[in-house]
Amino acid sequence: MPFELTLPFSAIVGQEQMKRALMLNAVDPGIGGVLIRGDRGTAKSSAVRALARLLPDYQAVEGCPYRCDPATPSHYCDDCRRRAKSGPLPVTRLPMRIVELPINASEDRLVGSIDIEAAVRAGTRRFQPGVLAEANRNLLYVDEVNLLDDHLVDVLLDAAAMGVNVVEREGISIVHPSQFILVGTMNPEEGELRPQLLDRFGLCVDVVTPTDIDQRLHVMELERDFLQDPRAVHRVWAGREAELRAQLQAATARLDGVQLPDAIRTLIARLCLDGLVAGHRADLVVAGTARAICALRGAPVVELPDVVEALELALAHRRREPVADKPSQVQELASRAAEQLAQIQATTPNETAQAVRGEATQQEGASGGEANEGWTTAESRESPSTEAVDVDADAVIQLPTFAVKKLDLPRERQARRAAGKRTTTKSETKRGRYVRSSQAEKVTDVAFDATVRAAAPYQRSRRLATADPTNQLRLETHDLRQKVRERKTGNLIVFVVDASASMDAEQRMLATKGAILSLLRHAYVRRDKVALVAFSGRNARVVLRPTSSVDLAERRLERLNIGGTTPLTHGLMTALKLIKTERLRDPRVYPLLVLISDGRGNISLFGEEPLLEAQRMAGQIKQDGIRAMVIDSTRDFGSQPGYPKSRVTSLYGAYAFNVCGDLAERLGGRYYGLFDLSQRSIVDSVQREMLRTGSA
Amino acid sequence: MERFVYPFSAIVGQDKMKLALVLNAIHPAIGGVLIRGEKGTGKSTAVRALARLLPEQTVVADCPYHCDPDATEALCSDCQDRLARGETLPRARRRMRVVELPINASEDRVVGAIDIEAAIKSGERRFEPGVLAEANRNILYVDEVNLLDDHLVDVLLDAAAMGVNVVEREGISIWHPARFILVGTMNPEEGDLRPQLLDRFGLTVDVEGIKDISQRVLIVERREEWESDPAGFSQQFADQDAEIGTRIAEAIVRFPGVVMPVGILRALAELNVSLQVDGHRADLVGRKAAQALAAYRGIPEVGVAEVNEVADMVLAHRVKAGGRHELGIAQSHPSASRASRS
Repeated sequence: MPFELTLPFSAIVGQEQMKRALMLNAVDPGIGGVLIRGDRGTAKSSAVRALARLLPDYQAVEGCPYRCDPATPSHYCDDCRRRAKSGPLPVTRLPMRIVELPINASEDRLVGSIDIEAAVRAGTRRFQPGVLAEANRNLLYVDEVNLLDDHLVDVLLDAAAMGVNVVEREGISIVHPSQFILVGTMNPEEGELRPQLLDRFGLCVDVVTPTDIDQRLHVMELERDFLQDPRAVHRVWAGREAELRAQLQAATARLDGVQLPDAIRTLIARLCLDGLVAGHRADLVVAGTARAICALRGAPVVELPDVVEALELALAHRRREPVADKPSQVQELASRAAEQLAQIQATTPNETAQAVRGEATQQEGASGGEANEGWTTAESRESPSTEAVDVDADAVIQLPTFAVKKLDLPRERQARRAAGKRTTTKSETKRGRYVRSSQAEKVTDVAFDATVRAAAPYQRSRRLATADPTNQLRLETHDLRQKVRERKTGNLIVFVVDASASMDAEQRMLATKGAILSLLRHAYVRRDKVALVAFSGRNARVVLRPTSSVDLAERRLERLNIGGTTPLTHGLMTALKLIKTERLRDPRVYPLLVLISDGRGNISLFGEEPLLEAQRMAGQIKQDGIRAMVIDSTRDFGSQPGYPKSRVTSLYGAYAFNVCGDLAERLGGRYYGLFDLSQRSIVDSVQREMLRTGSA
Repeated sequence: MERFVYPFSAIVGQDKMKLALVLNAIHPAIGGVLIRGEKGTGKSTAVRALARLLPEQTVVADCPYHCDPDATEALCSDCQDRLARGETLPRARRRMRVVELPINASEDRVVGAIDIEAAIKSGERRFEPGVLAEANRNILYVDEVNLLDDHLVDVLLDAAAMGVNVVEREGISIWHPARFILVGTMNPEEGDLRPQLLDRFGLTVDVEGIKDISQRVLIVERREEWESDPAGFSQQFADQDAEIGTRIAEAIVRFPGVVMPVGILRALAELNVSLQVDGHRADLVGRKAAQALAAYRGIPEVGVAEVNEVADMVLAHRVKAGGRHELGIAQSHPSASRASRS
């Protein structure tokens, strides 16, 4: 990446916590990287790329493609081990780099593979190092990390966990060190990150757009100047950059000397144990971060405020329970830490001296020691809101939406008749993203690069066999490799909503809209498609054709009028037709029908008893292998789910029994009360429905 | 001479769309236009016509990325190496092109891939540049951008935002500059773009078919005339086209000198804060678009009028759904009036 294309780090306006987290990683790479989550357009990527100019130098073995550290022979790559036997290795100093893993990366470039050029031309089997090799002892940056292909994430996690990259492919068998600072940026609105990957990041910061007008003015002016003459901007900031670099260098040098008093150590362990954070990595990260903060501050001994700031940075993504109100959480954390420390002091009197000093700094904390900087800015900041809903002032927007937890669906092993984000499947057609290659009996979609690599090791022998001296590639049928592609489209969720007059009661419709909205938001993150069928009066209509646009769905939902009778059968029929049409268009569609009604159908479609018709239709839907669930809008807060267990229910005397429960049973789906949704069981319900492969 | 292109000035109506395109031509950093609307509203005609009006640019003659030999900070690594070796880069002049990205494009064609021929013939591992390389310093036109594979849109907009295409695939590891004017069209009836992607487009304009009968007649007449005699028709509008071309060329020169009063910037930021627009992009794009408009109109200092004229192009796709807001700064805004007084 060329120097002039990124802003100077020190020029970036605001976002102190983000900059701080990045700097701490530069001081101590052992912290384990940082994940930056936040709104689009908040200088996330700019900050990471700008950090490149501040990173420290390190000693490395000269000529080693992995830049082995001469000081740790135990971590040498095979090559360095061999070379070390015949005398001391030549040493050089290299700057730490930022290595980018773009989301268009393919597996062979990530892990490395056989060098085609060397193989075809000279017939030698040589390893062409990949991004993981490049990243060793450097910083690995993944922009939009939540959009990274699952398979690549697996490979990345493996390497990160072991610190080595094991390559066994195309006749290459090699192990090389791969220890890197993992830095990722993402916009949480675009999808979640897998927990294992989340835990890999040492620190996590959430950034929001500043609402301070002056800050925004600075950003605008800076951008103008930078576009006009990037070099001039760099010249202006050169002094500040040098200063910052020196500060970081000094902190790195000081780091080894920073002491972690036993009381503080105990405090960290206790706070982590307290259940504030999940996982063991947290303890290590907090301790490391606190030391780096202390080193940056220029102090010799870690004190309480260092720990509090470290906790805040290391904690955001490790909490078991998401917190809505961050500032008060931080305050609570600070006071809890102080309390705990006091306890520890009481039990271990010989530590008192250091601890007291820690407490003193904490009390005058407001006057702003350097270590407090990140902490105070975080307090004054607005808490990032994941539910954009609360903010807006318009009509729909005031509907209550519920936090819908994420669905963890197992990934598919074989190609099957469903494609979807939550069910990423290998796609059989030539559509989708080429992620890796495989050997296939019948190759229909040639992975050219993989084919060449497969043929590469044999080039010399084949050339000898044919006595043809040119460098032409010699391919044989068994070299052919098939592209493995993955497609990510969503499932189809069809909401069948009762818009009859009976839904008007007790704000049922309001709650229904709220429930749908929650599900919609969730569907967007998962790239599901949604459709909306409403029924009232004498017919049912498709209010929204299958779409992935939440905006569109929200607008339609807003306009949904209620009133009239309840043509339940019509609703189910329309939904069934809609799903069948979609299936014709794309046989991979994986539909889920969600019926939201009070079940009191009173309009007949075929001239039979309305309820009987609805029951028949339900049976039909089940037969077609469409998964379904029923949300009963009459259920309110008091009543628990769980519908009558009587399997055979009378068809007549309709209102005497739970109509919705009965429909659910006939649909082969689950039954829920509308107001259970707010109690979060909706999460499990949708999850369960998605897991079931359908009873047909 | 290439084949005839329908003249820009002969396009009837659709002033907003034409203006959005012109502003991007003046200052490509605005970040492109998304044109939302029905089929047959002159979207692609306008884009192609515009390209013909733009001033010629200097390029490195044999560089696949059409590097600008004078902008040394944005050179591709090849050109940089050549400079470092003391070579003089061969220069050429050429017109900006419209590079099209078809919706069935595969990822390897977009980002580039390994050159199969070189690999088979001589076992060389060479990069075959894709659409993003071709688009550098050109106009990248994506028809029906909402139907493009999600993943491709990610890749595309990532490159657009950074101005660089980073490739790590099929044994190739390379980066090259990819700065282009991104023009996308979509029909909202066929599905929407994700907000994250919408945000990456600098401006949006909504176009609709013209309702005015006399204008509709005019459209048909011109089209018929054009089809029967393209050369004569082009000649007819040559002067008007040339005039727009000159104005654009002048505006490009004038742009850096246009004053953007702090009061106006402040009012713009306040507007975006009050509308709760995520991120800084609305501020940044608003500033650039208003400044480009002033440059185009020959106004030395940006005023409230310029900001308000571009406000809906900048904000329409960034304001959250359901909002019915006033997209603009009030004339009476204190900081705005302070600015005009000073």
